[in-house]
Amino acid sequence: MSFSEFLTARRATAKELVAELGKYYSYVSVLGADVRAKSIRVDRNSSNLGAGRDTECGFVVKMSKGSVFFEYSLDDIAGDVKALAAKLAEAFRLSQALAANTIGQVQLPDEPLVESFARRSDIGAYSDTQLLDAARGLCERLLQGSEHILNGVVSLGSVEVSKLFVSKNRELDQNYTWINGNLMVVYRENGKVVQAHEGAYGTHMAQVLAQLPALQEKLLHKAHMLTLAKAITPGTYDVITDPSITGLIAHEAFGHGVELDQFVKDRALAKQYVGKYVASPICNMRDGAAATVSAASYFFDDDGVLAGDTQIIKDGILLTGISDLASATQLGLAPTGNGRRESSRRKAYSRMTNTFFEPGQSKLEDMIASIAHGYMLFETSNGMEDPKNWAIQCVAQYGIEIVDGKLTDHWVSPVVMSGYVPDLLGSISMVSDDFKIIGSGSCGKGYKEWVRVSDGGPALKAKVKLG
Amino acid sequence: MKEILTALRRNTKLSDYQINIHHKQSYELFFVKSKLETVRRTDTCDREVKVFVDHGEYKGDSQFFVYPSTDETQLDALIEDAASKAAQINNKSYELVGEQTGSYEVESNFRDYDMPELAALVSQTVFGVKTRDGAALNAVEIFLNKHTETVVNSRGLHKTQVRYEAMVEAIPTYNGQTQSVELYEQYNFGSYDAQALASQIGGKLEEVEARYRAVRPDFAIDCPVVLGPRELMQLFMSIARDLNYSAVYAHSNLRKKGDLVQKNPTGDRISITMTGQLPGCVRSAKFDEDGMSLGSIELVKEGQVMAYYGSNRYGQYLGLRPTGNLGCMKVAPGSVETFPATHLEVISMSGLQVDAFNDYIGGEVRLAYYRSGETMIPVTGISISGKLSQVLESIRFTTQTTMFGAYQGPKHAVLTAMTVF
Repeated sequence: MSFSEFLTARRATAKELVAELGKYYSYVSVLGADVRAKSIRVDRNSSNLGAGRDTECGFVVKMSKGSVFFEYSLDDIAGDVKALAAKLAEAFRLSQALAANTIGQVQLPDEPLVESFARRSDIGAYSDTQLLDAARGLCERLLQGSEHILNGVVSLGSVEVSKLFVSKNRELDQNYTWINGNLMVVYRENGKVVQAHEGAYGTHMAQVLAQLPALQEKLLHKAHMLTLAKAITPGTYDVITDPSITGLIAHEAFGHGVELDQFVKDRALAKQYVGKYVASPICNMRDGAAATVSAASYFFDDDGVLAGDTQIIKDGILLTGISDLASATQLGLAPTGNGRRESSRRKAYSRMTNTFFEPGQSKLEDMIASIAHGYMLFETSNGMEDPKNWAIQCVAQYGIEIVDGKLTDHWVSPVVMSGYVPDLLGSISMVSDDFKIIGSGSCGKGYKEWVRVSDGGPALKAKVKLG
Repeated sequence: MKEILTALRRNTKLSDYQINIHHKQSYELFFVKSKLETVRRTDTCDREVKVFVDHGEYKGDSQFFVYPSTDETQLDALIEDAASKAAQINNKSYELVGEQTGSYEVESNFRDYDMPELAALVSQTVFGVKTRDGAALNAVEIFLNKHTETVVNSRGLHKTQVRYEAMVEAIPTYNGQTQSVELYEQYNFGSYDAQALASQIGGKLEEVEARYRAVRPDFAIDCPVVLGPRELMQLFMSIARDLNYSAVYAHSNLRKKGDLVQKNPTGDRISITMTGQLPGCVRSAKFDEDGMSLGSIELVKEGQVMAYYGSNRYGQYLGLRPTGNLGCMKVAPGSVETFPATHLEVISMSGLQVDAFNDYIGGEVRLAYYRSGETMIPVTGISISGKLSQVLESIRFTTQTTMFGAYQGPKHAVLTAMTVF
């Protein structure tokens, strides 16, 4: 794959539009997005091969005279540039009441930079027929794996991203691919129906296709055990988190609370804790599109800021947050490259990318051995942030009971973790020396603005309320 | 549209085709602490083309998007590529929605305003709500959307509808001497009612003050739990999703026609109807993405599953009458006029978890009112959990109903089988 021909053809127009709108506004940028997503899905009864849900092609023009930001999302910028510029300028005539009530003077920075980025992928080497056949083969094998499977689903998805950013002083383009594969079963045994899934992901289809077959055995064992799972007795327990749940804690418990647009709005309690302990001293947490290569890795963000690698928590102390361009500017900080849009049709906010705890010193087996009675928690289901009040809800698909330092065969499902963020982070007493990032997540802000994210880390030992 | 139709008709490999065009216009205002930060407009058009190829006993399909920049040669190539993909898809055959034409507008007073004018009015309403000392709206986002949707297919279908919907995200905050707290709230509506919006926001401003005063209870709470419309919508939508044709066809549904949702009901019987339109409902539509006209169907009557619902394709796969994808839900009211003397009224949750596979309902409570006789204590830092089957058997609903998002039904429900911890 290579950078979008469509965006290449619009590069000169984007520059002209920036220049023309520069007559009306002190800051102008144009972001063009051409995202080609492919979706292949095969189950017992049906199959599908077509465009994926992330597919988009369009532009967003951002303008400011220094007191309020204007954005216009449109399909194309081709044609009479002068007329388009006049139309955009006309579209934002504010009523007197609104014009008199803006945030005040904020001048967005526009430091000179010209860069081009491409991350290699092998997606172009696979025909649709090859991928469909691969999914069919995996599905057939999966369905033969157990008589208890009511339905099996195999999905392969790729997202090929091309983005162009042009402002008066900056001209950036990027091109990269991310691939996800998933096995899912609807499974009936022991008088109970459950759903279970396993995923593989990476920059190359070959990686994903190589990993998926090996996940089948784990998937079917999990489905079997989930049919035996019981409800957990509500209470406070010692727990070990797997990398997925560690990532969920990093993301929901703390990540949302350090999105700096929430600092601007005074919506984050973390604002009062910069430079102070917010977690146990053995905790280190980072976020950044450049911090690792995963689902949320890119070269520049949707504000035209280069991807960063932000140390959020260092030895338990909150250092800083993550920001989009507008929020960082309002706070007088350098932007961290976390300005992300759901698509070119939505606003940019401060958003997480790849969020994780860093590895520690402990061995996982020693961590499990240290618990007299508790649970090891696995696999993210969902979570919800509360950045102002630091309440937490994280839902794990299942937990396995630990008795006398050993994992048992007693599974519980689902497991809802709740409590107060400082209590949870402060209770972390051991951090394992291994590490994994889960590259198949998506994240909303409140109940909207969905973007792809990854999260993860090592195993953590903590004390939390489960129910 | 004309160019797409011409190109589709030119390709002899196609058995059928469908074009969905979605023109979206929006006007959006973003406020930071009552000051205007960003104004956004969108004017975009998605053109999605689905092609069908009948081969043997199968009907394969594949879809793609057409952009303003797509020229005739590219369009021909996209159709050819999609036809080749569709020919490899071995899905059961079905008939597309047949010859129907029409132009519709979902009822809404949004059409009486232009978008910037209505956005300004909504912002005036939101910020005009009287606030108590210490309470304020820390962040407000206003989204007004107009959707013009057209569906055309090779069987003579050509329908267009205009829908309106709005979303206001308003974050009430209370700044007290010891701390500052907030509640997250989102208001979705399909028709503008200034008084109703002001009343809801006013209520939230009172509740956020209660969150400031809320305590982590140092006493055991063992009493009925009262849930509001947001949680009830989540609970009943989980039941409805299970009865969708696509879930039934995929064998992922738990309940079948004739099954009892409430096996031994001791409370009010549950009755759920899915429908295409409800006044003020954000998901009201005259037809779905396949062009199916939308009516109503009673899914659950008096606690028993009566029917499934869903799209043209999956309805035909199951040999059942397609109802179309019905987006609005109506739930019958119950018998509760007053709550039990001692109860816990949940005001705000992180998100109710409903897991029918594991027979679970519960979640973290951000604010609740513990009431016992004349005493009311706002509480926080608690969680609730229970067995979904037991909760459904004993659940009781208020006689009073409300509209919330896509849900019209009881304003509250009383749950007696929950653990508070």
